[in-house]
Amino acid sequence: MPQLPEPLERLIQELSRLPGIGPKTAQRLAFHLLRTDSQRASSLAHAIEDVKARIGYCERCYNIAEGSLCWICLSTRRDATLLCVVESALDVLAIERTAEFGGLYFVLQGVISPIDGIGPEQIHVPQLLERVRSEGVAEVIVATDADIEGEATALYLQRVLEPLGTKVTRPAHGLPVGGDLEYADELTLARAMSGRGTF
Amino acid sequence: MRLRNHRNYAQLDLSPGPGVNVFIGANGQGKTNLLEAVAMLALSSSPRARRELELVGPVAPMARIEAEVESGGITAELAITLTVEGDRARRVIEVDGVRRRAFDLPGRFRVTLFWPDDLGLVKAGPELRRRFLNQMLVQIQPGYARALAGLKRVLEQRNSLLKRIAAGEEGGDVLEVWNQELVQLGGEVATARSAAVLELQPDAARYHAEIAGGERLEIRYEGPPQDLAEAVHNSLAEDLRRGSTTVGPHHDDLRVLLDGQEARAYSSQGQQRTAVVSLKLAEAALVARRTGERPVLLLDDVLSELDAERRAALLRQVAGEGQVIITSVEAGPFPPELIASAMVWTVHEGTIEACG
Repeated sequence: MPQLPEPLERLIQELSRLPGIGPKTAQRLAFHLLRTDSQRASSLAHAIEDVKARIGYCERCYNIAEGSLCWICLSTRRDATLLCVVESALDVLAIERTAEFGGLYFVLQGVISPIDGIGPEQIHVPQLLERVRSEGVAEVIVATDADIEGEATALYLQRVLEPLGTKVTRPAHGLPVGGDLEYADELTLARAMSGRGTF
Repeated sequence: MRLRNHRNYAQLDLSPGPGVNVFIGANGQGKTNLLEAVAMLALSSSPRARRELELVGPVAPMARIEAEVESGGITAELAITLTVEGDRARRVIEVDGVRRRAFDLPGRFRVTLFWPDDLGLVKAGPELRRRFLNQMLVQIQPGYARALAGLKRVLEQRNSLLKRIAAGEEGGDVLEVWNQELVQLGGEVATARSAAVLELQPDAARYHAEIAGGERLEIRYEGPPQDLAEAVHNSLAEDLRRGSTTVGPHHDDLRVLLDGQEARAYSSQGQQRTAVVSLKLAEAALVARRTGERPVLLLDDVLSELDAERRAALLRQVAGEGQVIITSVEAGPFPPELIASAMVWTVHEGTIEACG
């Protein structure tokens, strides 16, 4: 491949570090940015700088936050006795979109994964325990993913939370709304059957 | 079936017949690559490639296997696409155009694969015999592929944790949850294997006795201890010392006995091969019984490796109903009546032509 000018090469390098972006896509994006007018380009650069300068993590729940607390922890209308534990801030957004949950969150920012050197301390479990202990949380909903690491994390949290006398629950697995029964995979269907409810 | 840039096939469109299909070609022309592609659509991954990157041919940084399959009156479009990304290949699986996870693919149509590697099934290490059980079970037992993939992941995580604990980088309190997952998924895998071996036994014994003049074949599943939870608990010290998990279905074996003797140690190569043919035939019979439909039989160049009697026994089964794909270097080992009723193709440098 011919040698590209250094700034362009550097941009491609940086872009290809982003998740889901391979070398080809990085190249395409870089050439697109090259063609964009300079106002647009610097607006993108500033947006990136701003987000790093102004957005941090909530001191209480590790959700993303513009100040020391996130907009959910700042709200006075949330039920502080109900706590939902999720893997990432994206999960908070997903649950918030449902408008179904009125409690508070705790964002682990990861899952237990020894391969990646991530244990309970890295996902803020000591802080979670402290919070449950000091704030009188009645129920903790452990909403980690249903994959191997998510399940392990949920099992671990159950083990350390239950001795504190709080109720520990896990979201139900079930059929997708509007989904055809015959197209559900076996495990989902099996869990939906065993976790069935009355009308 | 369509192949795009799969190994040495730049482009292939193929419509095999519903009965016996024989592919004849010299070595290195692409016979095994063709069978591999069919097997991948049933198993979701290649049964022989170490890295998926190997599967992508030289023409483009992308390979695609597509087929329309029919099973139990339902047709489905299956597709596996591999895209080169740096030094690895990313795999995307689609069923009827919808993306699916790898463990959701098996079971749409089923194959029984028999290739030269399998001739060592009795003699080789236990890994090959576990693979024999796995290949069959992912296709017929709902949830098995998922449990197996989960078990593999749990073992990776648990082994990594054991090493970290031994090195003092982590406390032991997290280990219990990995034990729980190991017991759960390990139990599912072991139960499925144990039931399958019991079910294979009578057919395997019958086929073997037929070919080997009454010799008695027995197979026994050597699984993890009945109380897996307790065994995992008791092995903790040993696990920490070794930095790996010493108890679980990843150490399983399938014991093969001929007239009460360990076939691996005491039987001739001929007897062992008879046992292999019998096990493979029993596998096809079990798949047919559980699913109500014969699996597509894939025989890769094994006929030339078998003597006349074993070959005849295999071909007797093959000539029955069901779709069969056989590859061979030459037409020699086939009885004329089989060739007469079969579709015969020639394979040459990644192209396939109907012959006669």
